[in-house]
Amino acid sequence: MPEERVLVLGAGTGGLVAANLLAYHGYKVTIVEKSDFHLFQPGMLWIAFKGHRPERYLRPVEDLVRPGVELVKGVVEKVDFAERKVTLGDGRSLSYDKIIVALGASLDYDAVPGHRQLFESIGDYFGGADAAAKFWSHFSKLTEGTLVVAAADPLYKCPPAPHKAAFLAADTLRRKGLLGKVKVVLALPFIHEYASETMAKIIGPKLREAGIEVKTMFTVDSIDVENKVINSLEGESIEYTLATVIPVHGGPRIEVNPPNAVDEDGYIKVNKYTLQVEGYDDAYAIGDCTNAPTSKTGVTAHLGAEVVVDRIMGFEARFTGRTNCPVVADGEAAFVISDYEHPPVPVRFSKMKRLMEDLFIAAYWSSLKYPEKWQAVFRAYFEATSPAVLGERGW
Amino acid sequence: MPEKIVVDARGMACPGPITKLVRAYRKAKKGDIIEVLATDPGFEPDVKAWAERTGNKIVELKKEGDVIKAVIEVTAK
Repeated sequence: MPEERVLVLGAGTGGLVAANLLAYHGYKVTIVEKSDFHLFQPGMLWIAFKGHRPERYLRPVEDLVRPGVELVKGVVEKVDFAERKVTLGDGRSLSYDKIIVALGASLDYDAVPGHRQLFESIGDYFGGADAAAKFWSHFSKLTEGTLVVAAADPLYKCPPAPHKAAFLAADTLRRKGLLGKVKVVLALPFIHEYASETMAKIIGPKLREAGIEVKTMFTVDSIDVENKVINSLEGESIEYTLATVIPVHGGPRIEVNPPNAVDEDGYIKVNKYTLQVEGYDDAYAIGDCTNAPTSKTGVTAHLGAEVVVDRIMGFEARFTGRTNCPVVADGEAAFVISDYEHPPVPVRFSKMKRLMEDLFIAAYWSSLKYPEKWQAVFRAYFEATSPAVLGERGW
Repeated sequence: MPEKIVVDARGMACPGPITKLVRAYRKAKKGDIIEVLATDPGFEPDVKAWAERTGNKIVELKKEGDVIKAVIEVTAK
């Protein structure tokens, strides 16, 4: 049995996969989490725009850690890589042989004037299950006017999130016979209808087909909640009846020693292949909390966790930066597939891909708690759909 | 005092360079110069489209080997 004590910070996707895999391999693992519940974050879209019950996407963290993992409830206040010490908000401190930081990104509702007021009055689909339920309570009453889906910065979790929001919103409105009376405007901070031009050519026509109006190069700079107007950094304005804006993201709000282990936005600086914290061979960071130049999404957290577990076990695993971001449209889906070496390949919408996404959601809880059971399934999928294999022909 | 802001987006794939430019632009004020270095080939048409839409001025746009250098004067703020 390995004697090393591994400390995992955060029980999101990456943290749970890492902790549960390490425990399976016999490591002594402690996981620290501030919340009682784990939220399947893409579920917020379904709560906010389809009225799904929040409970469907929440599970008690204690039910998701397998025997052998010690769960500590607490807020991480300081991580000291030099002293191998973590301090919690209540003053407790924890030491480690190896550490995996998986604390996710933080959301800043104060970066854009008016944003906090908008968020507190109507919720959104980023700030938690309650916020998403609150948004649904407003969206479900919308019978006319303009729904604006926008973002305050181009860097946010799940690059197709606003597209999915617009697709799901338009679908709900269409089923109520309200699409047209309510106009859906998707305002994006990108040059094209998607960050990648290749995928923009596939997603753009789908958005038009769904009756969604797209505005590109619109980065939210201020929100006038009284007059219901959103102003962009690029100098344009949109009037809205109901609006939702993705907040500016940053690294986890913790104190880090040495201070230069994080970048100017607070993201933990890692080697993008080994996910080791720069300068420390006993420290790793995975998922949304790192500066790795890939998308902030559950897939990268999950794959990163597997790489880090392999490395702790002595294997030469490398993280490829692989993404697999699902774009869900009406009854169909596509995936944005890329890695460090390949920009997104053209992936077309199909019902089969939607089936794969729905199967993944159904398997999600099991894949967190028993990652070893799913490794062969996921590996086959990721190898068969690697951007090098799919190539310019796509999928 | 106008400032010069250098954005190094070399090695970043799409949409990295534009993301960095947008973030630099948020902090910039009228008269500032934003210099972006990028290796993503899509950056050249993207930065032209961005400058045209936002009404800022491209002072210089050139390619040195694999590196695209764009110098933008903030005129629209």
